[in-house]
Amino acid sequence: MAHFVYPVPANAQPGTAYSAQPAYVAATPAQAAYGTATPRPGQAYESYPAAHATTQYAYTTRTQVAVTPAVSYDQPKAYYQPAPAATAYTAAEAHYQTVDFYTAKPVFTTGAAGFTAQRPASQPKPPAVQVTTASQSYAYSAASTPAVNTYTSAYNNPTTTQSSISGTNIVPGYDAAVYSAASSYYQQQQAAKAIGTWAAKKPGTQPFKAKPKGPPKTPQLHYCDVCKISCAGPQTYREHLEGQKHKKKEAAMKGAATPVVRGGHNQLRCELCDVTCTGADAYAAHIRGAKHQKVVKLHTKLGKPIPSTDPVLVTTTGNSTVSVPKATSSTISAVGAGNKTVAKSTTSSVNIVKKVVATPKITFVGGTTLRTTGAKTEEVKAAPEPAAAAKPAEPMQTSSDDLKDDEHLNILGEKDVAPVGHEYIEEVRNEQGKTVSFNCKLCECKFNDPNAKEMHLKGRRHRLQYKKKVDPNLQVEVKPSIRARKVQEDKLRRQSQKEDFWRRREQEDRWRDEMRMEEEMYWEQHRRYDMEYMHRGPMGMMGPRGPFGAGPGPMIRKPESSDDRHVNAKHAAIYPTEVELQAVQTIVSACERALKQTSDVLADSDGPKPEEKKEIKKEEATTDAKQTEKVKEEPANTNRVLKGVMRVGVLAKGLLLHGDLNVNLVVLCSEKPTRTLLERMADSLPKQLATVTEDKYEVKRCVEEAAIIVTAEKEPNPSCTITLTSPVMREANTTEGETVSVKDPPDVLDRQKCLAALAALRHAKWFQARATGLPSCVIVIRILRDLCQRVPTWSHLSQWSMELLVEKCVSSGGPNMSPGDALRRIFECISSGIILPGGPGLYDPCEKDPTNALASLTNQMREDLTASAQHALRLVAFRQIHKVLAMDPLPPPRFPRQRFNNPRKRRHTGSGEGTEEGAEKKEKKEGEEATTEAAATTK
Amino acid sequence: MRGRGGPPMGRGMMRPNFRPGPPFRAFIPHIPFDLVQCESTFPRAKSAPEEKPFTEALLKRNVDLTPSAPEQASVLALVSKIQTILDNLVVTPGAFEAAQIEEVRQVGSFKKGTMMTGHNVADIVVLLKTLPTKEAVAALGSKVQEELKLLEPIEGKVLTMLTNDSGFEMSSAEASVKCLITTIPPNLKKLDPELHLDGKIMQSHLAAIRHSRWFEENAQHSSIKVLIRLLKDLRNRFEGLQPLTPWIIELLSHFAVVNHPSRQPLAINGAFRRSLQLLSAGLFLPGSVGIADPCEQGTVRVHVVMTLEQQDQVCFTAQTLLRVLSHGGFKQILGLEGNASIATEMSVWEGVVVTPSDKAYEKIEKKEDEEEMEEDADES
Repeated sequence: MAHFVYPVPANAQPGTAYSAQPAYVAATPAQAAYGTATPRPGQAYESYPAAHATTQYAYTTRTQVAVTPAVSYDQPKAYYQPAPAATAYTAAEAHYQTVDFYTAKPVFTTGAAGFTAQRPASQPKPPAVQVTTASQSYAYSAASTPAVNTYTSAYNNPTTTQSSISGTNIVPGYDAAVYSAASSYYQQQQAAKAIGTWAAKKPGTQPFKAKPKGPPKTPQLHYCDVCKISCAGPQTYREHLEGQKHKKKEAAMKGAATPVVRGGHNQLRCELCDVTCTGADAYAAHIRGAKHQKVVKLHTKLGKPIPSTDPVLVTTTGNSTVSVPKATSSTISAVGAGNKTVAKSTTSSVNIVKKVVATPKITFVGGTTLRTTGAKTEEVKAAPEPAAAAKPAEPMQTSSDDLKDDEHLNILGEKDVAPVGHEYIEEVRNEQGKTVSFNCKLCECKFNDPNAKEMHLKGRRHRLQYKKKVDPNLQVEVKPSIRARKVQEDKLRRQSQKEDFWRRREQEDRWRDEMRMEEEMYWEQHRRYDMEYMHRGPMGMMGPRGPFGAGPGPMIRKPESSDDRHVNAKHAAIYPTEVELQAVQTIVSACERALKQTSDVLADSDGPKPEEKKEIKKEEATTDAKQTEKVKEEPANTNRVLKGVMRVGVLAKGLLLHGDLNVNLVVLCSEKPTRTLLERMADSLPKQLATVTEDKYEVKRCVEEAAIIVTAEKEPNPSCTITLTSPVMREANTTEGETVSVKDPPDVLDRQKCLAALAALRHAKWFQARATGLPSCVIVIRILRDLCQRVPTWSHLSQWSMELLVEKCVSSGGPNMSPGDALRRIFECISSGIILPGGPGLYDPCEKDPTNALASLTNQMREDLTASAQHALRLVAFRQIHKVLAMDPLPPPRFPRQRFNNPRKRRHTGSGEGTEEGAEKKEKKEGEEATTEAAATTK
Repeated sequence: MRGRGGPPMGRGMMRPNFRPGPPFRAFIPHIPFDLVQCESTFPRAKSAPEEKPFTEALLKRNVDLTPSAPEQASVLALVSKIQTILDNLVVTPGAFEAAQIEEVRQVGSFKKGTMMTGHNVADIVVLLKTLPTKEAVAALGSKVQEELKLLEPIEGKVLTMLTNDSGFEMSSAEASVKCLITTIPPNLKKLDPELHLDGKIMQSHLAAIRHSRWFEENAQHSSIKVLIRLLKDLRNRFEGLQPLTPWIIELLSHFAVVNHPSRQPLAINGAFRRSLQLLSAGLFLPGSVGIADPCEQGTVRVHVVMTLEQQDQVCFTAQTLLRVLSHGGFKQILGLEGNASIATEMSVWEGVVVTPSDKAYEKIEKKEDEEEMEEDADES
C-alpha cells in the first residue's frame, strides 16, 4: 500500500511541494502498521496520531531547511487539510464507517493539536503567501487522498464498533476543537486580510472566543439540531419539535444509517446545512454562499455560549467543508453524539477546548485556502491539478475500491478545467453601476453571484456550449451516457443502411443498363422512321411524331421537354390535313402532267418532237429525282421551249401548312419567257388538263406575275401558280444594260419575277440539300412560318431569310437539337441582335455576290422583330411557350406520380379543348395498361 | 415538367418491366446562342459598322471609372496596415483571446484591380479558427482599431470601426476596408444564427476567397478588368441589372472576353457588345447552361442565385440596351449622355422607335407550376 501511495505525491508535486513527500511517505507506513493493528482500536488511535505527529514534525523541520519558511508554513496546511478532504471524496460515496471514524476520533484532534503546537515556530511567517499556497494545498489534497483512503478502508470495521462506544466521550472534545477552528475561520472571513500579523491576531482571537464560552446563555439553546434552525423562544421551539417537518427529518436521520449511502455519486455534502453538492466547485460555492454563512453565523452565535454542543457538531462539518468535504453520513453519528452532548456538562469540554486552542490555525488556514481557491483563477489551479488528477487512480485501486476510483477521477477532472469564454459573460448592472447579475450569452443563463459565474465558466454545460459555439477545438470531457451509446448505434445502423443502398443502387444500374439497350433499339427504330419521313417529303407525313434527335449516342437521350411537347403539338396542329394534302397532290400532279403535254404540244408546233418528254410524267414522286432528270434532259432538248417543270417554295421544301393551298411550280424555258409564250401555254393548258384528269380546273393568266394560275374548282380549292422563267434571264443579269436592249424580245416577261422564280429554284435545291436532313429544322420552320403568318411584326421576315436563319441556327447548335431547343435557339439568335442594324446580317448562300438576305428590312422592322423575339425568348424560358405558339398550355405528361394528384390532372385536362381528346385517349390507354397489368399479376 | 419523354406507345411497349414513374430526370441545359461561337455560320453579309467612336467612348468611360492614384494609394495604405495587424494576430495566437485567426486574405475589387472610383472599399476576409460569434467579431474589430491607432498616432486620421452582419468595417476619411469574417469550413455546420454571424454570409466570404484566387489565375487580362468595370458601372446605373452580382459580372466578363473559338481575347468593344448579346440571348435564363461557377463543386450555374423574376429583369434590360446600342445609343448606355430612362422608356434613335422590353415572367398562376419552375431553375 505504501508503495502505491508513494509514487503519487512524487509525481504530483513539483517544486516546493516536493518537500512534503518524504513526510508523507513516512506517514503511510505508519498507517499501514495501523491497519494491521486494527483489532485494538484504542491503541491504533494512539499510534496513528503519533505517526501523524511525527511526520508533521519531520516535515516541518525539513521544509524549514529546504524552502522558505513561508512555504513551509503553507505546506503543512496543505498536507493536513487534504486528508479529510480525501476521505470525503472516497467516503462520500457510501462509507459511513469512515465518517464515524472521523467524528469519533479525538486523537486526531490531538494529533493535529500536537502538530500545530509545534508549528508556531515557523508560523509567524507572512500570511500573504497564502495565495500560492492555495494551489499547492489543492493539488496536494488530491495526492494525499489515497493515503488516507487506504488507511480508512483498512480501518472500517473496528471503527464502527468503536464509535458507538467512545463517541459520546470523545466527540465533544474533538468537536470543540473543530468548532473553534470554524469560528476562527468565520472570524477570518470577517476580518478578511486585514490582519496584519498572524501571530498577533491569534492570541486575540482565541481568548475572545473563550470568553463568551464562559457564561452560557440559555436563550440561545433553542436550536433544533436536526433541522438546523434556531427558534425564537422555547414555545416555538417546542412547536417545531412537534411539527411534522421536524419529525420527518428526525425519522429520516435515525433511519438514515444505511439509506444515506445512496448519495453515493460524487456528491459533496455540507453537513451543516444538509446540502448536497455535485462537485467540489459547487460545494465551495456553497461554503462561500450566503446561506451557509448564515447558518455558520447562527451556529457560531449559538455556539459561543455552548461551545461543546451544537456548534461543535456544526463546525465539524464546517471544518470538513473547509478542508473539502467530510463524509456524507458523518452527521448521523455526529448528531447522535451531539444530542447526547447537549445534555453533557460544559465542563468536560473545557480541557479539550484548551487543546483546541491551537487547532484554529489549521482550520483557519483551511478556510483561507478554500477562499483563495475560489477567488483564484484557472492558472493557479490548472497547473498542479492535472497531475494530481492522473495520480490517484493507482492508489485507489490498491484500496480495492474501483467505484470510488472513478468518481474521484471525475471530481478531479471537473476541477481540471480552465474557465473559458469570459467574454460571453455579460454583467448586468443596476443604476448605481453595481454588478447585480451575470448573464452568460452562450448558455443563456443568469446568475447573481460571481462565484456561480466562476463555476459556470468551468462547468461542463458551459464548456460544451463554448465548444459548440466558439471554439470547436476545446476539449470537453465526454460523458459516456445512454445517449452517446444510442448515437453510436445509430451510426452503425446508418452505415449498414448506406451499404445496403449502394448495393441496391448497383443492382438498379445494372438493370437500367439492360433497359437502356432495349430502349435504344426502340429509338433506333424511331430514328429510321424520322429519316424516312424527312426524305420522303411531306406527302408521306402522317401526323405528329415522336421526338427528333433521339438517342444521340452515349447514354444520354434527351428527354422530351415541355417545350418540345408544345412545339410538337403545335406542329401537329398546323400540319395540313389529309384532305388538303390530297388536294394539293392532285392539282400539282395534274398541272405537271398538263404542262408536260403542253410542252409537247409547243414543241410539236415549233419543230420536231422528241420522245423523252414522256419521262417528265413519271417523275412526280420526288422533286429530287425530277431535278436530276431535268439536268439530263436539257442538253437533249435544246430546241424545246419549255424544258421542264419544277416544284418550288413550300411545296418543294415540304413546308405546307394547314390552309396552305397555293403551291408553286416553275417552268424553265430555253429562252427568255415572253408574253406570247405565256399566252400560248395558257391556251393549251386547259385542254391538256382535261386530258389528264376529270377534275375541273380554272386557268388564269397573270402576265404581270409571269405566271399562270391554275385553281381547282373542287373543294378545298387548291391553286397552283406556274411561273415561267429561264436561266437566260439570270445571265442577262451580269451585263444588264446591253442584254436588255439588244437581245430581249419586246414582250419579255417581268424580269424580277423571273429572277425570283429562279432564286426559288435555287432555294428549293439548297433547302433539300441542307435543311431537310437537319433534325427539327423543318418542324421549326413550319412553326415559324405559322408565326410569320400570325404575327404582323414577323410578317416582314421573308420566308427565305427565315429558312436561312433557322438552318444556320439549328446547324450551328450541335447535333440532334430537339424542336423545343431549336425554337428557343432561333429566338436567342434574333435576340442577340443578328438582324439588328449593327449585326452581321444573313449571308445568302444562293447568290453569287455577298448578299444580305435581310437587306429588305427597315431598321424599324429589325428593331420590332428583335424586340418581339426577345420577348418570345423569355416567354419560352419562363414556360409560357404556349403564348408564343398561340395555343393552350399542354398538361404535363402523365407520370404515375400524378395519380396521387388528381385535382391537378383534372384541371389541366379541362383547360383546353384541343387537349381534351388526347388526354382522354391517354387516360384510356392507361386504363388498358392498368388492366393488363392487373391481369398479369393475377396470373 | 421537363422530364423523360417518349411517346405513349413507347411507354406501353416497355411497360411490362418498367418501373412506374420517371426513373430519373436528367436536366440537359440549353446552350444559348452565342454569335461569337458560330461566327463561321454567320459570315458577315455586310461590312462591319464603324466602331471607333464606340471603342473610344468605352475607353474614356473606363478611365472615368478607374480610381485615381491618390485614391488607390490611400486604400492601399489602409489595407496594408490592417493586413499587417491581422497577420500579426495570426502569427501570435496568444495575443488575442476572443478568437483565433487562421488566415487573412484580401479579396474583392481592390485585390482584383477592378475597383471603381468613388467606392474606395477594399475587402479582407478573416478566416477564424474559432466560431465567429458577434462578440468575437466586435472584439477583433476593436483590437484592430486599437492597433491601427497605435500604428498611426496622427489625430488627423479619424478611424471608425463599425460592425455589421458580415464582419466589421474600418473607415478613414478617404478609404475603408471591410473585414469580412468567416470561419473554417468544418465550423460552418456548428453555427447558431442567434450567436454567430450568418452562415450564408460566411460561406459567401469563403467563396470570395476562392473567387479572388480564381481571378488571379484566370482573369488577369486587362480587357477583362476593363469590361468588369464597365459592366459594374452599367449595373449601377441601370436598375434592371441590379441582380447581377459582382461575381456574375466577373465571370461574364471573363466569358465574353476569352471564351472564343480562337482563344484570342476580344477587343473591348466586341466584348462589351458580346456581354449584352449573351445576356439578351438568355444566358442567364432558366434552362440555360449559363456559366458554371468555377469555384463551386459540381456544376453550379452562377445565375441561379437570382430569382426567376430577377433573371427576367436582367435579361429584358440587357435586351433593351442591346437594341439601343445597335441603333447607336452607346453614349447613353455608357452614361456619357442622357440618363437611365432608355432602359425603361420608349426612345427614338434615327427614326427608329425603341420600345423597352417588358417582363415575361409571371408569378405562375398555379402553385405546382411554379414549383416546377423553381425546380427547373435549381437544377444544374
